[in-house]
Amino acid sequence: MKSQLRVMVAAAALCLLPVSVYAQQGVTSDEILIGSFGSLSGPSAFVGLPGRDGTNLAVKEINAAGGVNGRKIRLIFEDDGNSPTRALAAAKKLVEQDKVFALFSIGGSNPTSGTLAYVKEKGVVMYVSFASAPGVTFPFDKHLFRGGTTESARYGELYAEFMVDYLKAKKIALISGRDEYAKNEADYVTRQLKDSFGTAPVARADFNPGDKDFTPQLLQIKGANPDVIAILGYPAEAIIILRQARELGLDQRFFVGATMVEESVAKNAGAAAEGITGFTLLPLLPTSQDPGMVAWLAKWKKEYPNAPAGRPNLFDVLGYNDMYVFAQGLRNAGPSPTTDSLIAGLEQIKDYRVGPTANPITFTDKYHIGNLRLQPKIVKNGAWENVDWESKRESAILQRYK
Amino acid sequence: MTVTIALQLLFSGLSIGAVYALVALAIVIPYKASGVLNFGQGEVVTLGAYIALVFTQWGVDYWLVLLGTLVVSALFGLIFERVAIRPIVRAPEFTIVIATFAVGLIIRGAIRLYWEDNEYSLSSPFNMPPLNLGGVRLNANFIWILVCTAFVSGSSALFFKYTRFGKAMRAVSQNRAAARLMGIVVEHVYMTAWAISTAIGAVAGLLMAPVTGINPEIGNILLKAIVGAVIGGFTSLSGALVGGLVVGVIETFSGVFIGGTFKHIAPFVVLIVVLLVRPYGFFGRAQVRRV
Amino acid sequence: MLVIVLAALAVVPFFLTSYWVYLTNLFLINAIVAVGLNILTGNAGQISLCQSSFMAIGAYTTAVLSARYGLPYWLTLPAAMAVAGGTGALLGYPARRLSDIYLALATFGFLEIFQVVIEEFSDLTGGVRGISIGRPSLFGVTLKSDLSLYCLVLAAAVIMIWVASNLMRSRFGRAFNAVRQSPYAAQALGISIGRVKLITFALSAVFAAVGGSLMAVVVGFIDPLEFNVIASLRQITFIVVGGLGSIAGSVIGALVLTALPELLRGVKEYVGIIYAIILLGFLLFMPGGLITIWAIIRDRIWRKPVKIEGANRAASLD
Repeated sequence: MKSQLRVMVAAAALCLLPVSVYAQQGVTSDEILIGSFGSLSGPSAFVGLPGRDGTNLAVKEINAAGGVNGRKIRLIFEDDGNSPTRALAAAKKLVEQDKVFALFSIGGSNPTSGTLAYVKEKGVVMYVSFASAPGVTFPFDKHLFRGGTTESARYGELYAEFMVDYLKAKKIALISGRDEYAKNEADYVTRQLKDSFGTAPVARADFNPGDKDFTPQLLQIKGANPDVIAILGYPAEAIIILRQARELGLDQRFFVGATMVEESVAKNAGAAAEGITGFTLLPLLPTSQDPGMVAWLAKWKKEYPNAPAGRPNLFDVLGYNDMYVFAQGLRNAGPSPTTDSLIAGLEQIKDYRVGPTANPITFTDKYHIGNLRLQPKIVKNGAWENVDWESKRESAILQRYK
Repeated sequence: MTVTIALQLLFSGLSIGAVYALVALAIVIPYKASGVLNFGQGEVVTLGAYIALVFTQWGVDYWLVLLGTLVVSALFGLIFERVAIRPIVRAPEFTIVIATFAVGLIIRGAIRLYWEDNEYSLSSPFNMPPLNLGGVRLNANFIWILVCTAFVSGSSALFFKYTRFGKAMRAVSQNRAAARLMGIVVEHVYMTAWAISTAIGAVAGLLMAPVTGINPEIGNILLKAIVGAVIGGFTSLSGALVGGLVVGVIETFSGVFIGGTFKHIAPFVVLIVVLLVRPYGFFGRAQVRRV
Repeated sequence: MLVIVLAALAVVPFFLTSYWVYLTNLFLINAIVAVGLNILTGNAGQISLCQSSFMAIGAYTTAVLSARYGLPYWLTLPAAMAVAGGTGALLGYPARRLSDIYLALATFGFLEIFQVVIEEFSDLTGGVRGISIGRPSLFGVTLKSDLSLYCLVLAAAVIMIWVASNLMRSRFGRAFNAVRQSPYAAQALGISIGRVKLITFALSAVFAAVGGSLMAVVVGFIDPLEFNVIASLRQITFIVVGGLGSIAGSVIGALVLTALPELLRGVKEYVGIIYAIILLGFLLFMPGGLITIWAIIRDRIWRKPVKIEGANRAASLD
């Protein structure tokens, strides 16, 4: 009788065990549930869909190698349609309905910004892969991490320094898109030119994404007679701008922003693309012949054999790289991960990268900006090559956290 | 602002305007014939570009691509009219406007499903360096666009003025009941009008593609084209042509004088001004009431 | 019936998670905007594609006044309504001579221009980068909890719908309908068509602004893309699917179509197409909207002849 009672008590205790030991939401004995949101539909899907594919590839590999501390990672994706309203709905659903452990954002700046207040209030860790909105990392909140993409301000710092230092430009003209990302880049470049170099762009024109003709803007720029023309926008417009510029007799050197350093620009702009310089977020472009990238590409193609032209792109690679960083943070968090142990685990990461396709990521307990590096490149014979140039200035961004 | 620069801007404005003019023409023709304003016409343009893309990817020569695009899109126009337009021809304006808008969205969504948002490019046989005429550089593609637009407008004008079918279409647009009494099969007129309209729209897409690239959003050109149609008066074909060209020129010149921001809204400001001052445009007559 | 619905809505925040409360807030906001648009389009028969611009006016007025000038919410809301109403009247005045397609085009032009205005004054509005709004404060009390925010939204929705309902029952409502059904007869009766168009424009703008202002505090972050032509089309879909001319219809339409993208989360890539197909389907096959189904059900169950303003007039939407 007494032994029966003991058995029953023991059985009851065992039943309660999963609840008491694994009280952390989203973590079970064999699984860690992570919620992710991004633009899976609409005009911005060229960011979210590759982001999803790259992240999924990483998760698949990690799980095949045994997972994280014996648990497999499971990702749930939600579409935010590039809308802050829907991104917030997605975040709430993931945290409250699906009960995820943490969030991994592959969304744009505005949608991600829409979720920040909620994430901070709920005390959930969110790792941001693509969004460059300053609000993610400043003011500092221990729950938010920014990985592969870098701060808007950093683009400005590096672009300005490169144009002045490497391209030896005294007179710079900017032509930028009127959307959030391009405008940010242009504003920060202008600010950096003023703060660090005491100059200002001699001309600043803007265009609408989707514009097909840039004759007015280019003629305006031609009149200002710059040394270097910086295009800040997207590949589609850059290709047209480059071609039209040459046709209109503008033979200055061109500099392009990070989103335009990709194969389509080098190839489709014809001779006009030769010699243009730009920065990229990745040490290697997806089209690079470097053995490290070739190997990665083979893996990706095996997983996604029917992908359309232009894939994999920057976001495939970034998503893949960042998921590995995140997984490393999870690993560091130990056998019983909680929000706080994940934060500590991520903050332990110093110069970590999954392979040659990634930039090293570093987090500290004072700032959660993982990457401040951009790789300068130049087009030679229709393909992008690395430029040997490093920034000589310390980033002013980190000063804010001292 | 030297003469050279002004001429350069004029050339560029006219070339852009030519595409607007084509699309405006494609809108006005079915409006004249059946009273339906096709808010989905932008997607017809996009469809034309993608049809051309498919043909090109099959390795077909440019001229055959042009022909193929014309044929396929005309067929599409016939089907579209029969299936989507015929049921709503008599419906109130509101229904027509929103219904065609919805069809456009469906087409755009379908394109996006298959081709996603990738940028495709189409090369044309005119990728030679621009012609230099006294300092003004004439892009070969732009010249081709102007030539095509002139050809299409010219042949449309001849068609409507001199052929039997053209006259039948004009009769239907003036008084449907009377036309029917005269033995004109109104349904055939509708179908032809729509087939012509989609063919023109698709050609606009094909012409645009080497300049702008191919992606699901290029149909947004409809907005500017409609401004052109309004300026020209919705009931006039020559008005649509001139209106489209005017919009292109205004857009380009305002880009220089006022700046990139206003370049984008200039057509809409013009639209509102024209609507308030001369709602029937500069070429149209008072709105023909459908019988 | 109404009591049941209100009671259900009242207990929502006590039983459901923050996610569902948030969705219900969005539904209520959409209902307010839809009811406003319905007055303009369903009742007075004016096609407007710039409803989302009025919503933007409401949202940005609240955002700018609270984020940049620190005004409390109970001041920003009336300000939003006033600015939007004024703009609506300003738009309605010259637009009163336009009809149908020309009106649609003019409102579309206004929408595009307004988008650019938001983006240009980026120091004030945040431009394309968007702007953050904190929790609203009402008479010194900050509404921090989900519950308090929900109460605000629910109260606003109930009030606006009540206003609309009374309006449509008054002689104003009848005048609006007259303008749509038979402009000539209306004029013969001494109703000034131009004045009706002006008033309905201003009214629908005020409704939209209330919705926009609430949206700013419910979501906490807005950017110009939220108020583009697709948003306007979505609102038109609410009233078409629900039933043109019927207030209850607009609310139902808002409910169904707010819930739809959430329910369709499994088929994300198809949501846009499905929306458009639904819109088209209703336009072609059920122009009376969902409210006609409801009318049929009520008729069968209670065997009372049902008087639903919108249902019978779909056929006469001429």
